[in-house]
Amino acid sequence: MVVTAPREAPPAPGTRRVLGTPLSAVRQLTRSAGTTPGRLTVIAVGLVLLTVLTGLVGALALQQKQTTIDNLVEHREPLAAAAQQLYRSLSDADATAASAFLSGGTEPEALRSRYERDIAQAGAALAKASSDVGDDTQAQAQVQLLNQQLPVYASLVETARTNNRQGFPAGAAYLREANGLMRDKILPAANTLYRIDFVRLGAEQEDVRSFPWATVVLAVLLLAALIATQMYLTRRTNRLINIGLAVATVAVLLSLIWGTVAMLFMSGGVADGQRNGSALAEVLVRARIVTLKLRADETLTLVTRGDGPDYDGDFTKLRPEVSGDTEANLLVQAKNLASSQQVADEIQSAINNTNAYLTAHDRIRQLDKDGKYQEAVDAAIKDAPDSAATAFAKLDENLLNALNAGRQEFLNQTLTARNALTGLVPGAVVLALLAAAGITLGVAQRLREYR
Amino acid sequence: MRNRMPMAAVIVMALFLSACGSTGTLADPAPVNTVERPRPVGAAENPTATSGSAAPAPPSCPADGRASIRPTGPLPPPGQMPDGNMRTIQQRGLLKAGVDQNTFLFGFRNPNTGQLEGFDIDRVHEIAAAIFGDPNKIQYVPLASADRIEALKTGKVDVVVRTFTANCTRWADINFSAIYYVAGQRLLVDKSSTVTDLKQLGGKRVCTQTGSTSFNTLSKADPKLVVVATKTWSDCLIMLQQGQADAISTDDGILAGMAAQDPNVKLVGNRFTQEPYGIGIPKRNEDMVRFVNSVLEKSIRDGAWQASYNRWLRPSIGDASPPVPEYR
Repeated sequence: MVVTAPREAPPAPGTRRVLGTPLSAVRQLTRSAGTTPGRLTVIAVGLVLLTVLTGLVGALALQQKQTTIDNLVEHREPLAAAAQQLYRSLSDADATAASAFLSGGTEPEALRSRYERDIAQAGAALAKASSDVGDDTQAQAQVQLLNQQLPVYASLVETARTNNRQGFPAGAAYLREANGLMRDKILPAANTLYRIDFVRLGAEQEDVRSFPWATVVLAVLLLAALIATQMYLTRRTNRLINIGLAVATVAVLLSLIWGTVAMLFMSGGVADGQRNGSALAEVLVRARIVTLKLRADETLTLVTRGDGPDYDGDFTKLRPEVSGDTEANLLVQAKNLASSQQVADEIQSAINNTNAYLTAHDRIRQLDKDGKYQEAVDAAIKDAPDSAATAFAKLDENLLNALNAGRQEFLNQTLTARNALTGLVPGAVVLALLAAAGITLGVAQRLREYR
Repeated sequence: MRNRMPMAAVIVMALFLSACGSTGTLADPAPVNTVERPRPVGAAENPTATSGSAAPAPPSCPADGRASIRPTGPLPPPGQMPDGNMRTIQQRGLLKAGVDQNTFLFGFRNPNTGQLEGFDIDRVHEIAAAIFGDPNKIQYVPLASADRIEALKTGKVDVVVRTFTANCTRWADINFSAIYYVAGQRLLVDKSSTVTDLKQLGGKRVCTQTGSTSFNTLSKADPKLVVVATKTWSDCLIMLQQGQADAISTDDGILAGMAAQDPNVKLVGNRFTQEPYGIGIPKRNEDMVRFVNSVLEKSIRDGAWQASYNRWLRPSIGDASPPVPEYR
């Protein structure tokens, strides 16, 4: 194997032990750095350390990305969904209680069970939404308020019911009190909680998409160091290729390319899930909240018959957010975000049913204005095909379907994104070990030549 | 002496345990500092007066506001209203009536039927029947006490039949019909309460409705009360039931309506004001005042008033006969 004699002095004592125990090598550093084998030893130790560091940082960063994606799918998105479900159930419970009151006499079984389901659903959604508020004090405050006030609300509704059954107008007063509590405290808290969850979801999506620059910089440094070492060795030993170092270089290059490509795929997938999934869901949630408010305003206008807060004025103010053909209409906005024809069709149905609902609403207002109060009430709460209740039920179902499609899209895209990282962590570790081994063997081979 | 060792051990143990007990303090795992009670929407403590009677010196008027405008001639047959405001209403086909939908016995929504009912609502039916021959051609406009005068001034309603006390201050802005019922302000308290007089309620929370004459009376009470003002009388009842008010004070007829909804409250003390109820009509519509007065006279004459009183108020208030109309 030995072809040319080394030009330098014989190896310093202790060099042989260097590769076995790097610690003792460090102790020899100062003494031996002046000699080529000494310098080579230092270079080898530095390269191995840099490889280990790069591998460690990269593996940790990737592991963290995977954990964050899992968290997105398993916690963040379900929490945001639970918070919006909470809002919807609470708002529907309130509108249903008002409808039951309007229907007069013993409340219809259908409305009673709808109210009960809403309250049960709100409880379940609240439990879910509370499960992970973490140390966000603002979210904690909302959950506290909701947990404290929901039983109070339900008890007021029951007291109203008891009084109504006895024919006492105190029932209407209890219902108004319950409604005031819902509108002034409970719903705003549920809305805030949803906003917090949505912002956290978005922040985590951004976080997972951020490029792991530290790892990349380390990997590039390592690559440069490997190449420089090989050039140095070539100059010193006149040998073109050191197999160990070449293997290490290829391994590092491979993991750099693999990691970058996987990251780009993953980031793109998460971005798709954000755009076509959670962003669509967010616009739909806003539209749904507006329609729920409209329905509540309509029912309460009939309950108060104009005496009380200006619910009808509130309706007029909110109406443009779900009507018209421009992007000012949240539903049109949502339709433009839809990623498939099926979802776009569902949203188009929501637009049509919302228009039908608004037409029914205008008829109710006209009937009421003409003194036909009872007909107005019937048009609002009975289940005739052209009643506001029918149109509203349809549009709410459309919105729910579209919302679920948006959530599904988010889930699919994000899981696809997660798959892009499959095998990357063990792969990167194996490649790092390979590189370390290559460096060690490659340099050891040269050192042997000095003996 | 053989006991000494275990004894010492017990003492040491006790010291050790007591030391342990004094070092840790238990944290309340879920502290609740304040409990927010639900409140009727719009309830307020000691709000500034909104009713017209806050004026410094009330104007004088005939019979302290009880005297209305005398009707001329007999009632025209239904559907044949003379020219003027009555013809306008007939042609519209609906009587716009400002009413209450939350005051038991006077004007309230019967939760079992969804219909408005009560002593005041009967008066509206009589007027509608006299105009159209149909007692149900009515568009109800529920009004808060504080909005009654404004609704008449703007022409939002043709009449206000809503436990509306006729007084000279209000006469300055609107007209009243002849008096159809005389109430008086009293107190409603919990059955266990020993209060019988407003003077015993200094510093206590007394509920009444914004924009009512009762509100003005309570604001001037001596010693001073905490006046809790709500939008409707039912709100006062539920505040009493929820322990957020110590008493309610207003016209005895309204209080009787509350007592009828809750056997655990009682009316106490004497009447300390006179509240003659009239039907409010816009200032310019004097022809309508005459018409409505004729309707009231007819109702008193043919026993409709008495039947209505007996149905709504007699079970709670006792026997009464219709007031004698006074005119200027």
